[in-house]
Amino acid sequence: MLRTGSRQDQDPGPAAEALRLVKVTKTYGSADSAVTALDAVTLGLGRGTFTAVMGPSGSGKSTLLQCAAGLDRPDSGIVRVDGTELTGGDEAELTKFRRGRIGFVFQQYNLLETLTVAQNTVLPLKLAGRRVDRRRVREVLASVGLGDRLGHRPDQLSGGQRQRVAIARALVTEPRVIFADEPTGALDTRSARDVLRLLREAVRKHGRTVVMVTHDPVAASYADSVLFLADGRLAGRMDDPTADAVAERLAHLGDDVPAGV
Amino acid sequence: MRSIRQRPGRFLATLLSAFLGAVIIMTFNSMHDTAGQPGVDPTSSETLSTAAGVVGGYGTLLVFFAIASTLTVNVRQRAAEMELLRCSGATPAQIKRMVVGEAVAVALVGAALAVGPAMLGGRALLDVFRDSGQVARSVDHSFGPVALQSGAGITLLAAAGAAILAVRRATGGSRRRGRARTVLAYAALVAGAVSVTSTFVFSATDAALMAPPAYGAILLSVGCALMAPRLLAGVLDRLPLGGASGWLAVRNLRERAGQLAGILMSLILFTAVATATLTMQAVESDAVAASGAVKSVDAKNLETLNFTVVGIIVVFVCVMLVNSLYAATTYREREFGQQRLAGATPGQVLGVVGAEGLVLTVTGVCFGTLAALAGIVPFTVVRTDAVLPDQAFGVWLAVVAVAAAVTLGTALATARRVLRTPAVRAVASAA
Repeated sequence: MLRTGSRQDQDPGPAAEALRLVKVTKTYGSADSAVTALDAVTLGLGRGTFTAVMGPSGSGKSTLLQCAAGLDRPDSGIVRVDGTELTGGDEAELTKFRRGRIGFVFQQYNLLETLTVAQNTVLPLKLAGRRVDRRRVREVLASVGLGDRLGHRPDQLSGGQRQRVAIARALVTEPRVIFADEPTGALDTRSARDVLRLLREAVRKHGRTVVMVTHDPVAASYADSVLFLADGRLAGRMDDPTADAVAERLAHLGDDVPAGV
Repeated sequence: MRSIRQRPGRFLATLLSAFLGAVIIMTFNSMHDTAGQPGVDPTSSETLSTAAGVVGGYGTLLVFFAIASTLTVNVRQRAAEMELLRCSGATPAQIKRMVVGEAVAVALVGAALAVGPAMLGGRALLDVFRDSGQVARSVDHSFGPVALQSGAGITLLAAAGAAILAVRRATGGSRRRGRARTVLAYAALVAGAVSVTSTFVFSATDAALMAPPAYGAILLSVGCALMAPRLLAGVLDRLPLGGASGWLAVRNLRERAGQLAGILMSLILFTAVATATLTMQAVESDAVAASGAVKSVDAKNLETLNFTVVGIIVVFVCVMLVNSLYAATTYREREFGQQRLAGATPGQVLGVVGAEGLVLTVTGVCFGTLAALAGIVPFTVVRTDAVLPDQAFGVWLAVVAVAAAVTLGTALATARRVLRTPAVRAVASAA
């Protein structure tokens, strides 16, 4: 017999596809000044993959990430995270949907200044009303190289360290998908490399799925594959990218919109 | 000056407090003018002068506090702008000149606007005095040089002084101020204790009986208010607040104890002054009624004054509370966005704000009540031989209700509005 109401019943384990978008469209503004940020984008990302989303400014990268992560609602289309469809609802419902399924890493870190490193890391667990396993939190922070900074506040840390706290915070809830929005945008090259390695580790070691929006071909080269976006549409895909190949492709993105996909 | 024209909204709170302050000061100082007219009998003249003197003094202090509070908030909000100015070559003196100039300009507008209402207010006040027989019927209202000069002068001086204080606060130098504040706090507490104790020297029917405990309570509350950050820290250490919202609230409060001190200060002063004055007045009135005596003109004067003073304080503290809470909460848009991105529902964010407001209200009310009781108890012991008057509870409930409604209402309503911005944009806008 199955016990009803237990977590196991509602959660059939990880789905094969971590993220699925079907004809997702998003338009900003109205009438004359309307801008189509996403134009019927369809894509699927397998579990345990590291995907970079690239494109020029205004190509819809950030909108794509926000729609896929349940931070914004698409005008039409279907978003499925870990096999569960993201349906409309108020912010509270979306928030509850994101908990446990989705983790975030932002360019601006978005750590709370009033909390210590350890407190910032456990915040998502606290908010979700989940039990806080101190040992596990210490483990996660040690794995991002901050085991000796538990009591520090964000303003006592360097940018790279802050971003690593953000990664620890994203990992601690064991989400199915981690969305990273320009995670290295504000970092020097060495800190950026550390952060990218940690994201890749999250995929390789812990089987997370990572979707990263970035401008930087070097950052994109850490991913398994790169999706190119131009004018709100998918404009190609590159597997096993190298920084040079990505930069080359990016430079000619305008030319080959019809081809590629 | 240009910065005022660009963003008149930001200066609304300062303008409002300058305006209200100028109205009150001019209204009461016009009593000096009225008393100074030829042909006014001595009793009327004395009543008018006392009223003007007492409330004028209070008013000056309050105007100063209110303008300082609104300006401090204003300057803090514009920290980024100040930083930019400094980077583009403005010296600290230039920045100070700018802020002081702005404050004086706003105060000037406030004072000018206040002349009309103050004339009407003065006339109404005189009517009250005449109806209660405190002032002879034949006395006419006069709005003269004393009212105008003191009103405009005090408002401008208060604005300039408050602006200098606000800039100094914003640009550092807090260490020395910290020590000065501690000394002041202890001085106020000691003076308050002495004043309260000296109540016992008076006899039950002395006309001046109410003065020492009332001033004592006020001084004690000023002392508590000055120690507000430390009191808050002490309370937080002993606070078991459950849930994620409570957990966050306690941590936020602890980190921002210094900034929230202004709000706590207003709450303590409000509770103490309103509770003490109103309760003592109620006890006094009942005692007079019980003895079957008719109130003398002096007693009536005192009653009118008490109510006016409490009224003024209530209005000012409300303006200060609403302003600083509104500004403090709006300022946290980014922080709220970060909480939401970390997985907080809007309800949980409101829970945090509510818990913070509750802790502030309870702390403020507690210490305010203590200060008030310190004044009330000696007064009732001497006046009626009871320890705690029956009237105290009702007054206290009303005062607490107002304090809680203003604090929680402003904080939650503002937070609700701030939460309407989508989390992603809230985080980006301030980045």
